[in-house]
Amino acid sequence: MGKALEVIGLSKRFLGLQALKEVSLHLEEGEILAVIGPNGAGKSTLLNLLSGLIKPDQGRILLLGRDISHLPPETRTHLGLGRAFQIVQPFPELSVRENLLVGALFGKPGLKRKEAEAWVAEVLDLTGLAPRAEALAGELTLLEDKRLELARALATRPKVLLLDEVMAGLRPKEAEEAVALVRRIRDSGVSVLFIEHLMPVVRALADRVVVLDHGEVIAEGTYEKVAQEERVREAYLGRRA
Amino acid sequence: MRELSHLPFLSFFLLLFALLPFLPLGIWGAFLLDVGFFIQLFTAMALSWDLVARTGQLSLAHGAFFGLGAYGAGLLAPHVGTLPALVFGAFVAGAGALLLGSVTLRLHGLYFAIASLAFSEVLRTLALKLAFTGGPIGLPVPPPFGGVWPLAAYYLSFGVLLLATALSHWAEWSPFRLAQAATRQSEAVARVLGVRVVRVKLWSLLLGSLVAGLSGGVYGMKTLFLSPYDAFSLGRAVEALVIPIFGGLYSTLGPLVGGVVLVGLEQALRLWIKEGYLVVYGAILILVILFLPRGLVGLLGRRRG
Repeated sequence: MGKALEVIGLSKRFLGLQALKEVSLHLEEGEILAVIGPNGAGKSTLLNLLSGLIKPDQGRILLLGRDISHLPPETRTHLGLGRAFQIVQPFPELSVRENLLVGALFGKPGLKRKEAEAWVAEVLDLTGLAPRAEALAGELTLLEDKRLELARALATRPKVLLLDEVMAGLRPKEAEEAVALVRRIRDSGVSVLFIEHLMPVVRALADRVVVLDHGEVIAEGTYEKVAQEERVREAYLGRRA
Repeated sequence: MRELSHLPFLSFFLLLFALLPFLPLGIWGAFLLDVGFFIQLFTAMALSWDLVARTGQLSLAHGAFFGLGAYGAGLLAPHVGTLPALVFGAFVAGAGALLLGSVTLRLHGLYFAIASLAFSEVLRTLALKLAFTGGPIGLPVPPPFGGVWPLAAYYLSFGVLLLATALSHWAEWSPFRLAQAATRQSEAVARVLGVRVVRVKLWSLLLGSLVAGLSGGVYGMKTLFLSPYDAFSLGRAVEALVIPIFGGLYSTLGPLVGGVVLVGLEQALRLWIKEGYLVVYGAILILVILFLPRGLVGLLGRRRG
């Protein structure tokens, strides 16, 4: 199996703060990878670098073997990289269906309008948003907003999907449904990299976990393995006195 | 009222304008034809401003595009004839738009507005100082088609309105609308969803400027004289943005209804209230903006993004 996403020596500095320091990690095709770490560990910076909203100081990003380090965000999307934001940012003046159509129509250039509309209908069904398709995105509940965020990323037909804390704020039952949804997405052939604070979700969903602390990778492996590591416990709980 | 079937409305207005010269209006005929001319031209300006605004770019450069088109067409008309001169004027405005657009790619909303204002001021100063524009003395412009046909200017402005309406309608009812709306509501999210934001903004500005340039060209052929203060007036840009706000933003019907009502109102008030008609005009404007935040067409139904 090939690598869906490969990050090599990625560094980013904001003024005095070294947000990421020579981070290397990879995502296998068909894998669900969790990136965890305490607040300020550099998780969101990593995602912004991956989707191209900010530029790295050093390092390379390979998407399905292709160097995308210097490509603008829209081109990365065209090549198969999808992203859902942590803070949901629907287009409030567009309906749910139209929000998805933006992703479907422009996420893959050359797609016919009919095909895009059919794909949007599928995504609406998959994410349970079909009954709300004609509602304005500005009128949704938080749960629906979260679903829309995920659905819109899915509408771009990604091969690799980046999820930024899409479960935050959900009740346990809702999070369970979301976990099942992400599994279905993976089973349809999408590789998933997700950032998450909720450990039960990480445990349930992740094939593998990468732990970031102070912008560096401090551990990597199965959930059970990294949860045992001293450095990970220290990062989360503080050093033992 | 999602699928506001506005084609009948649009067709009605356009048909009315097309037939206006042939309606039995008696002694009012000449006056109404003049009013109709300005309604058409400024409504076309408003539509072209709205087309740009749909991407979140608040243009104060529409006076500049208007002026570029007016001077471009006015300077060339004596040598190449009416229609080629108008096309040339539009291209000059388009070139100006591409120049402005390519240096303001990263700007949005108010920041773009300031940059476009500066652009406009620079061009007016150039028109004042350069020799071939006639400077502050101004530039005489020949009437269209040698002046043999009195309705020529009227129908040229009708043509510009037709073009502006067609462009705006296309942009509103094609996938381009979603690209524009996404760009306006969040550029970063739009890009992550694959929208080529830079292209969407540049195309919108270019199309808008072509219509504004044509409007300027026709304007010169009607007034037969251009001065930098008139052609590059900031007031032109303000009028182009007031009409869509008054009628309803981000649509074709909004600027069209707004233009007919507002420009018509202005001309009528000017006739009825010789002294201080602008006070009444301003008061009506304020009332509509206060009580109809989505403009006149907000009365008709829900807005599409």
